[in-house]
Amino acid sequence: MEPIIEIKNLTKLYGNGRGIEDINLDIFPGDIFGFLGPNGAGKTTAMKIMTGLIRPERGDVKILGYSVTEDYEKAMEKVGCLIEIAESYTYLTAFDNLKQLARYYPDVDHKRIDEVLELTGMSKYKNEKPKKFSLGMKQRLGLAAAILSRPKVVILDEPLNGLDVEGMIDIRKMIHRLAEKEQTTFFISSHLIHDVELTCNRIGVIYNGKILNVDSTQTILNNYATLENYFVSEVERNGRVSSCAR
Amino acid sequence: MAVFQAALVNEIEKLYKKKKALVAVLLSLAVIVLGQLVIVGVRSGFGLRGAGSLEFPMLVLSVVVNTVLPLFTALVAIDSFSGEFSHNSMRITLTRPVSRFKIYTAKITAIVIFILATLLLLLVFSMLVGFIFNTNSATLDSIVRTLFSYIVSLFPMIVLALGIVLLANLFKSGISVFFVSILIFIVLKVLGVVFSQYSSLFMTTQLDWYNLFLVNSFPLGKIVRQFLIMLGSGIMLFTAGLYLFDKKEF
Repeated sequence: MEPIIEIKNLTKLYGNGRGIEDINLDIFPGDIFGFLGPNGAGKTTAMKIMTGLIRPERGDVKILGYSVTEDYEKAMEKVGCLIEIAESYTYLTAFDNLKQLARYYPDVDHKRIDEVLELTGMSKYKNEKPKKFSLGMKQRLGLAAAILSRPKVVILDEPLNGLDVEGMIDIRKMIHRLAEKEQTTFFISSHLIHDVELTCNRIGVIYNGKILNVDSTQTILNNYATLENYFVSEVERNGRVSSCAR
Repeated sequence: MAVFQAALVNEIEKLYKKKKALVAVLLSLAVIVLGQLVIVGVRSGFGLRGAGSLEFPMLVLSVVVNTVLPLFTALVAIDSFSGEFSHNSMRITLTRPVSRFKIYTAKITAIVIFILATLLLLLVFSMLVGFIFNTNSATLDSIVRTLFSYIVSLFPMIVLALGIVLLANLFKSGISVFFVSILIFIVLKVLGVVFSQYSSLFMTTQLDWYNLFLVNSFPLGKIVRQFLIMLGSGIMLFTAGLYLFDKKEF
C-alpha cells in the first residue's frame, strides 16, 4: 500500500540542541496515527514541518505524493490541520472565521460550514466572536476548521487541549466516524496516553527528537497491559541506552 | 489565480471587519473638514480668498500625503503583518493550500487597495467640499490634473508601504516597527532638506512627486526618472520583504 504521508530523514535542530533528527515515518490510508512523546521530544517541530510552518534542515515530507517543501499548495490541498493552539480571528464570528478558510476550497459552501459547526457542537455559537470563547470552544472551532474541506489527511497537535470529558468523547467519536465513513487519515499528537490508546490504531513514540518505535495499538496492547506501560518501557529503554553511551 | 483571489478577498474582509482601516479613512476625511474650517476662518477673519474650488483638493493632498496617509498606511501595514505574527493568526492562512508568495502579495495588494480607496475618497470629498464652500475655479484641465495628482500619489505610498512591510518582517514587535518607521521617515525628510541635490532619491521626497504633473511644461524626463527610482526601490523592498516572510518560522 502506498503511504499517504512519507516522512524521510527529517531533521531540524535548534540552537538549544532540541528538535528532531533523522525521522522516518510512513502513514497509510485509514491510519489513526498517534504520535506520543514527552514534552520537548520534537512532536510539534515535526508537525510544524509537515504543515509548512517551519522548514527542515534536511529531509522532506510528502503528503499524497507531493513534497511539502517543493509543492506546498498541492501537498496541502487535501490536508486539514490544527497545530498547538487553535487560532482564530477574534474580530470575526465563528461562521466568518470558517468562511475565510472556505474560500480556498471550491467545494466548500455555507452548508458545509454549518455542517462542521454542528459536528463540533459549535452551531449555537456560530454568530459569536471567539474572543469570548473558552479554550475548549476555541479548540472545537479549530477542529471544525481542520475538517472543513473534507480532507483526506488531518494533522492534529494536542487536539484535546482544554476540552472537558464530554468534549473529548465527542471529538474521539468524530475522529472514528470520519476515519470509518470518509476514510480520513489522522496524524495526532497528544500527551493524554489514555486517549491515544482509545483513539489511535497505530502509535509512534518519539523521544529526544528520534523515533523509538512504531507499532499497531493492537500489538502493543497484546504485549503490554496499557499503552502507558509500553510508553514508559520504550522511554526507559532509550534512556538506559543513552546513559550507557555516555 | 483562484487561490490568490481567495487570499485577497480574505485580506480585504479582514481590513474591513477590523474597523481600523475604516477609522483611518474617517480620520482622513476629518482632515478635509478641518481644512475647510481653517479656510472659512481665514476668509471671514482676514478677508483673504484662501482656496478656490479645485485648489482645495490640492491643498488637502499636499497635507495628507505627508502626514495622515503615511501614518495610516503604516498602521494598516503593521497590523496586517506584525499584528498577525504576534497573535499567531498568520498560521490560520499559512496552513491552507496557498503559497507564502500569494499570501504576501495578497496582503500587499489589500494595503494598496486601502491606500487607493482612501485617496479616491479624499479626492471626492475634498472636491465636493471645495465646490460647495469655495469660489469656483474649475476648468476641465484643472479637474484632470487634480484627478491625476491623486492617482499618481498612490505610487510613492506603495513604496512607503513596502518599506514598512519589510520592517514588519524584520522586527518582532509592531511598536518597534512603528517607531523605526517614524524615525526613518523623519531622517529621510531631514536628509532631503540637507542634501537637496540628492533629494529625488529619498522616499519622502517622492511623496510630493505629483507636483511634477502640475507644471505647465510637463517635465517628462524627470517624471520617468522619478518613476523608475520608485519602481526600483519598490521591487527591491518587495523582494527583501518576501525573502524574510518566506524564511519566517511560525
